[in-house]
Amino acid sequence: MFNRRQKKRPGHQLTEENRTGLRLSDLRPGETGRIVEVGGSDQFRLRLIEMGLTRNAEIAVDKYAPLLDPMELIVMGYHLSIRAQDAEKIVVKRIDR
Amino acid sequence: MTDNTFNIAIAGNPNCGKTTIFNQLTGAHQRVGNWPGVTVERKSGHYSFADVRFDTIDLPGSYSLSAFSAEEKIVRQYLMDDAPDVVVNVIDASNLERNLFLTTQLIELGRPMVIALNMMDMADEKGLSIDMDTFATLLGAPVVPVVGRTGQGIDLLKEKILRVATDISGKSRQLNIPYARDIESELDKICELFDTTEGDPHFTRWKAIKLLESDRETRNEVRQMKAGNEILSIAEQGVARIESIYNDTGRAVISHARYGFIQGAIRECVTEDLSVASDYSRQIDRILTNRWLGLPIFALFMWIMFKLTYDLGSLPMDWIDAGVVALMQFLSGILPDSMFSSLLVEGMIGGVGAIAVFLPNIFILFFIIAALEDSGYMARVAFIMDRIMHNIGLHGKAFIPMIMGFGCNVPAIMGTRILESRRDRILTILINPFMSCSARLPVYILVAGAFFPEHAATVIFSMYILGVLVAIASGKLFSKTILRGMSKPFVLELPPYQRPTLKSLVLHTWERGYVFIEKMGTVILVGSILVWVLGYFPQEVELERDYSNDKQTIQQVYSQKIDALDLKFQESLENSEQEYHSEMIPYTESKSYQDLEQQYSALKQSILSEQKEALYQVRMEEISEITEQKWIGRIGKFIEPLVAPLGFSWRESVALITGFVAKEIVVSTYGVLFGVGEDVNEENQGVISSLRSSGMTPLVALGFLVFTLLYTPCLATVAAIKRETGTWSYTLFSVVYSVSLAYTLALGINYFGGMFGWFS
Repeated sequence: MFNRRQKKRPGHQLTEENRTGLRLSDLRPGETGRIVEVGGSDQFRLRLIEMGLTRNAEIAVDKYAPLLDPMELIVMGYHLSIRAQDAEKIVVKRIDR
Repeated sequence: MTDNTFNIAIAGNPNCGKTTIFNQLTGAHQRVGNWPGVTVERKSGHYSFADVRFDTIDLPGSYSLSAFSAEEKIVRQYLMDDAPDVVVNVIDASNLERNLFLTTQLIELGRPMVIALNMMDMADEKGLSIDMDTFATLLGAPVVPVVGRTGQGIDLLKEKILRVATDISGKSRQLNIPYARDIESELDKICELFDTTEGDPHFTRWKAIKLLESDRETRNEVRQMKAGNEILSIAEQGVARIESIYNDTGRAVISHARYGFIQGAIRECVTEDLSVASDYSRQIDRILTNRWLGLPIFALFMWIMFKLTYDLGSLPMDWIDAGVVALMQFLSGILPDSMFSSLLVEGMIGGVGAIAVFLPNIFILFFIIAALEDSGYMARVAFIMDRIMHNIGLHGKAFIPMIMGFGCNVPAIMGTRILESRRDRILTILINPFMSCSARLPVYILVAGAFFPEHAATVIFSMYILGVLVAIASGKLFSKTILRGMSKPFVLELPPYQRPTLKSLVLHTWERGYVFIEKMGTVILVGSILVWVLGYFPQEVELERDYSNDKQTIQQVYSQKIDALDLKFQESLENSEQEYHSEMIPYTESKSYQDLEQQYSALKQSILSEQKEALYQVRMEEISEITEQKWIGRIGKFIEPLVAPLGFSWRESVALITGFVAKEIVVSTYGVLFGVGEDVNEENQGVISSLRSSGMTPLVALGFLVFTLLYTPCLATVAAIKRETGTWSYTLFSVVYSVSLAYTLALGINYFGGMFGWFS
């Protein structure tokens, strides 16, 4: 069902070079990344951009929920939660500390 | 008068303390309603300052004005169409960057604005210091630091609002958020076209920006204009150019640019002292949403919530119950026996009273929920439970109303307001009645106790489990059929924890509880009267048995018995007196006399109570036959063929019909029907033995239990569904769906059970 909906509204296709890139869902708790590109449906990615997940924004994975989904992020100093399946649509670059 | 009244609107992000500021401004002068057509709360109020009246509206919390959600649409429409004199933008100072995103859009809308920089105490804790003057200059609006919780800074805020409201010239100094040169040139082109073709310069730049964002509502609006198509084609060309330059949608490019402006502003006027920075919420969350502790702590909180709701509520519940009974007794004592007094006492007061006893539970529950919401824990509940609720196609927050359903579906359905999307709300409302509410428990105890005395607890527990399973299955079914695909992505802010203020808890509790009181005065009253009418008419019924004759016979029989006893007593007295020889003590004070007298009075007492019981028995059989003749009994008889396949008799159908008012009424209806009296409780042996001897089998009893669990939610719940979904279609759907499901399952139990010989 989810796939069918995606087909109807393709949303934003990731650019060629980012398609194989590291995803936000690949980061482990405590790791920080820099946002390269946000994919997904128009509504989803615009909501995220409005919430501050803009290109080059720093984003830290704080933890995962007790049942391992969703995940808790820290962006611009506040805490935000999204599902892992959605985090897969966000391409990041790991920042090593 | 109009000169001295201004309209102000409070706008801000969710969790920015907007409502606290609203409460501080208006105090008790507020009203809660709904925005037309949607179940988003509309809070309005007023206050006076310097002899000027300010009508204030608390707009729903929103992160942006992009009109994705119902809340954003409302905010946008209100700001554009209702033209408030001043917009008070509440900003969480401890979370400036994200909060300012909405501010940039409010600036572009161009309404006179005052910025209330809230939660300054928390910003201090985070080590932030803000240069207020620079900040105000950059944003083009006065900035007032406030602490909503304590009321600090509110007077200054009122003063600034007054100054902005009365300053006509202030409107001219409109500030523009600067965009990159290629965007500005597109904006210029569109604005120029607006200026030459449209006389109204209002919102020109705002509309131009929205067109570059491909905003659907603005496009529809522009299409209506004289030069609409021309403007749209220029805008589309602009969007195409921007998209080719930036390789992203116009909307994303503009959002990025807004954040660029915000970051610049923050660099200029905010300094962060990292040495004192602390994120205490994160420390709390290390425990409350901990991988291992998170779920047990949540379960503990839920347990405490239930415990408080029902234990703390039981005391005032008894008072209300006693009060209702006393009132009924008092009124039936002073009123002459008439149709009117029966309607008033049994119909209206009895019916509404049966539901009024739930008021304390409901108020306590709402208070706890308000505390969970205000403290910030509710967002964590969504975080913890999302994985489970996501399976049914729901948001994690939907878990709260589901759990509340075990108590009472009415507050639970009203509690679905915590969900943001209408689709989630409707889905949660539709599956909520399957959560077995406490009113169904007496029925389970009675029927399971009668037919499964060995396994009553198991049977009752499996009813609860069945309810949950049906809710989950229905949820999956609905989210794949009638409510498909409208789900919102899960993007949830976890706001910092806060200590709730008593004032706002009381306000929240009262606002929601009042809705329940209102409903008792309307829907529930009408329903109670209806059931009374069905049970009262026709007034004259023809009874097959002559009950008064039977009663006379009983009276005769027993008075004869007493006469005989009297005679025997006299005889024994005389005999014993003859045998009495002592001269010291008079006979009447002797031991043998006293023994005899004691024996006599004991025997007389037992005969009298036997008589009373026999009369009561007849009276109840009479009531049972009368009920059978009343409309309600006739309806029961009439639909008997319909429920016969389930193995139900007319008694079950009557019990189920009256159970529509409130499910626990099923028990008292059985009491009446079996002639045991209305005053039964679920442990009543009379009803239990009557049930067993009525021809009901354990198999039918099981079907009856399942039917009671699943069929039409009670009247109050139906009313709540209507109120919260706002349409009759979902309400009727809920009724039809649940009745057909109950029927199908009960039929299946009866059919397959009979086939495989269960319980025989």
